Amino acid sequence: MLALTVLYDPECGLCRRAHEWLAEQSKLVEINFVPCASDEARKRYPQLNHDLTKQDLTVISENGWVYFGPKAWLMVLWALTRYRDWSYRLAAPELLPTTKRVVSLISQNRYQISRATGLSR
Amino acid sequence: MTIPISTYLIYLAISIALTIWVGRTLHKNGRVFLVDVFHGNDALADSVNHLLVVGFYLINFGYVSLALKLGYTIETAEQSIEALSFKVGMVLLVLGGMHLFNLFVFSRMRRRSKVHYHPPIDPDGFTAVEQEA
Repeated sequence: MLALTVLYDPECGLCRRAHEWLAEQSKLVEINFVPCASDEARKRYPQLNHDLTKQDLTVISENGWVYFGPKAWLMVLWALTRYRDWSYRLAAPELLPTTKRVVSLISQNRYQISRATGLSR
Repeated sequence: MTIPISTYLIYLAISIALTIWVGRTLHKNGRVFLVDVFHGNDALADSVNHLLVVGFYLINFGYVSLALKLGYTIETAEQSIEALSFKVGMVLLVLGGMHLFNLFVFSRMRRRSKVHYHPPIDPDGFTAVEQEA
């Protein structure tokens, strides 16, 4: 796996901030950012359910494997030099349920979190 | 031979023997780790192993020679044995510390060399990718 495409929500302030942070990190795998449900995303992935990608973060590898929600977050961590170890730790069977709960909680409340932290413009 | 001189000589003999023993142990048993770290590159492993052991000897002999001075005069055999046990004890602690540090370095190098290439989790699905023109 050499490249990941991240379908992010351009309307969420937290996601934009995360995008900026990711851009600065050193990576082991190339990461491309495409706004979810955009024309570009539809052109690249004609068979994908684009309404679903608006609900949670989606990551697609260059050969078409789709990671959705908490799995997408883990894949993003895995792509980063400093956090690859953490992606395995958080994906371990003992921690995975907690990881999924925490990530879903953040994802579902991303607009409220953005508002509360002043990240939404 | 006077008591102080023989104390120094015994101290040196014990310290040097201990250092060489630990150094050889590290050299012999550290190699397996290093070969694993360098993915079977024996030449590189041997080279790093040798360099590590040289550093180990330098630090230990440096300490042994710095710690030689007693700072007080010895008159009896009891005093000689007490001084010896203190000095040799310090050398043992330094050797132990160096040994643990070496082990830490080995295990750290080994962990670092284990870069995982497989993703942490299985994907949720598959989608066709349109190649960009």
